[in-house]
Amino acid sequence: MTNPILITGCGVVSAIGNNKAETLDALLNNRSGVGPLVYLKTEHKEFPVGEVKMSDEEMRKRLNISDNAITTRTALMGMTALDEALKDAKITPELIPEIGFISGTTVGGMDMSEQFYLDYVNNEKHREYIAVHDCGSCSEMTAEHFGKFAFITTLSTACSSAANAIILGANMIRCGKASIVVVGGSECITKFHLNGFNSLMILDTQWCRPFDATRAGLNLGEGAAYLVLESEESAKKRGVKAQAILSGYGNACDAFHQTASSPDGEGAFRAMKEALQLADIKPDKIDYINAHGTGTPNNDASESAAVKRLFGDNVPPMSSTKQFTGHTTSASGSIEAVFCILALQNGFVPVNLNWSQPMEDGIVPVHQTVKKELKHILCNAFGFGGNDSSLLLSKYETSLISSETTTPIYVLSAKQISVQQPLCEDWMTQPVVYQQPFNRSIDPSFKDYISPIEARRMGKILKRAIATSKEAIKASGLDSVDAIITGTGYGCIENTEFFLEALSKDGEQMLSPTYFMQSTHNTISSLVAIQTKNHGYNVTYAHKGISFDSALQDAVLQMRLGKINSALIGGHDELTETFYRILKKGGMMGKDDEMCGEAAVSVVLSTKNDNYLCKLVNFNMLHKPTMEKLKAVAKDFQADYILTGISGNNKSDKLYLTETKELFGDAKLLKYKHIFGESFTSSGIAVYVAAHCLKAGKIPAHLFVNQTEICGKKPSKILIFNHSDGNNYSLTLLKA
Amino acid sequence: MDELIYTLKQQIIEALNLEDMKPEDIDENASLFGEGLGLDSIDALELIVMMEKNYGIKLQDPAKGKEIFKSVAVMADFIAKNRTK
Repeated sequence: MTNPILITGCGVVSAIGNNKAETLDALLNNRSGVGPLVYLKTEHKEFPVGEVKMSDEEMRKRLNISDNAITTRTALMGMTALDEALKDAKITPELIPEIGFISGTTVGGMDMSEQFYLDYVNNEKHREYIAVHDCGSCSEMTAEHFGKFAFITTLSTACSSAANAIILGANMIRCGKASIVVVGGSECITKFHLNGFNSLMILDTQWCRPFDATRAGLNLGEGAAYLVLESEESAKKRGVKAQAILSGYGNACDAFHQTASSPDGEGAFRAMKEALQLADIKPDKIDYINAHGTGTPNNDASESAAVKRLFGDNVPPMSSTKQFTGHTTSASGSIEAVFCILALQNGFVPVNLNWSQPMEDGIVPVHQTVKKELKHILCNAFGFGGNDSSLLLSKYETSLISSETTTPIYVLSAKQISVQQPLCEDWMTQPVVYQQPFNRSIDPSFKDYISPIEARRMGKILKRAIATSKEAIKASGLDSVDAIITGTGYGCIENTEFFLEALSKDGEQMLSPTYFMQSTHNTISSLVAIQTKNHGYNVTYAHKGISFDSALQDAVLQMRLGKINSALIGGHDELTETFYRILKKGGMMGKDDEMCGEAAVSVVLSTKNDNYLCKLVNFNMLHKPTMEKLKAVAKDFQADYILTGISGNNKSDKLYLTETKELFGDAKLLKYKHIFGESFTSSGIAVYVAAHCLKAGKIPAHLFVNQTEICGKKPSKILIFNHSDGNNYSLTLLKA
Repeated sequence: MDELIYTLKQQIIEALNLEDMKPEDIDENASLFGEGLGLDSIDALELIVMMEKNYGIKLQDPAKGKEIFKSVAVMADFIAKNRTK
């Protein structure tokens, strides 16, 4: 037994309580928090919702946040839950700089963007809120209320986001990358996704009825929950006890449809099966399944099919808790994980409220209170795009099988579509030079990659992602990859803009479901999975300038754990004229001489090396590190060339120059953003550029920061040194 | 009716963003979903929005769409009988 993942604390806020004690009381007494809308301002009063029973002002007060500080409802709920989790695990402030924070959200700061969108576009009012629109900002605001965490990243896989944050945290501990990681998610109800779900016609105007024959859709909910994951060694050292352990987990992609689950529940089946296998536990040992159970006709039928495939005629007691809280979307994975921990500790099975008639071919849920000892609980969280995850929570007596390896990792292929000539390396000899401060990508013909009927709903970002992915897989020589992991700072910004525009100008009626479903960040990764028929691990990171880096880190961890042998890593961001102006106004990009572009990069990594561009030797990611900490890390990242993100932004460039000097002395500095432009996933372009320079055995003269250093010396090691606003750092060491 | 069918084809192409398609390419008697044009549940939702915007017909139950969206001809017939604008 090596490295069991202990849960040494947790915190939760949802419609049924502002902390664990209130939550437990509601669960034991079958008290639902779903009811008429109170806090959200919308014309859709017909839908019952599970709102957190506190206004933003009340939460600010509780958290001691001043009235004029910039924040969002998602961040406020996140802080409320994080506060309880940290106290519960006896984490003191001086421990925070040693701890990682991983959060899941999809909405991010949309509650503010949907109120102020027209101001963002038309005038200077409320522009301070632009900087908190994205998912990553939400996680950072939540975390920074408590101190400077060692690293922060954000997952955005729609309704399985928090579950995938938990999985990443566990992988980091198993790899020895961290001994304590706080994981979970937060999501407030917004007009944006209430209307989005309405456009998909999956909201019920009555109290939802998961697994009932008469079920007619879901009720939206909101909330946040965080779990403190800790290694056994660390918990012993700190003298804290485990409330439960995370004994297994699985992530698979349904690869079926963007908003519908497959009839046989393939993704869900694979995720649950993988969780059991990781823990080496037979299906008959499972005492309870906390279902995803949203109450839509499609989800409950598909989930029932998946459970019956895995458990046959012996389906364990199963219930959905969405009738208590509503569907808390991105946060549901961690909120329901806390419910499972409470069930383990207190020996009860939460009731599937509001159920009376069995559905055809459906499971029969637990509809009366059951008190019994529980040892193993499966907790399901599924997201749009078929991003399905399952967590196995157990009493602290079983073990997790770990098999860390130090297998070398190879970059097999790397393809781009950007402001340079697409899908080729013409930039090495003939770079396209721009005078304009903002430029859109040079697109190839997409007809070879996507049929016109498939392309009907795809924005540019999706077409670019599919084209680069297919080209990268082809060039890798692999038939398929074990995982598809994507990073995107802002996701499908064009469709987000269309939906926000319609919502702001035309109101809350007759909105296009296409724009909504294409606005979620994980659309990219899940469409690539559908297009390449890939059921493997599939997640999406949305954390500012380190979105691609977070995806890369995930792949490296899983290769080291022997869980996967190959991965397609994507870095995809698009930028429209409108959003360029908005982001420039918010000080997010385009400062000084910085040129802004768009980027789509797909990279295939593998532990096997038939034909490769370069090796990936080392990787690290840090949040607001001190110079001492950077120095300690930099020792393992010495290289002959350093590829920096120097972009023409004076403040950021100065930081690159002074820090690389202090950390690496006289190593030669390179740049790439002067020809590729700045975009949120440009660090993906950096990996692409460095890999092709190593393969070519030379560095184009126009990449040198100092023209006096130009030399024909064959590069052997290139370090990609990336920081975003001096807050988040990543170091990637590539070797020929 | 022929005029309505032609207009409807144009509106379907626009609502569903069927690039490179012309009204002549759609057979009004062929199935829109499955074997025919190959549309799916999201397209059905877009068609519901389109009918509400252009003809003032509000469909509450997406399942009803299955009958109405059988083909362009069936759709035109339903619209002619139920339109409010």
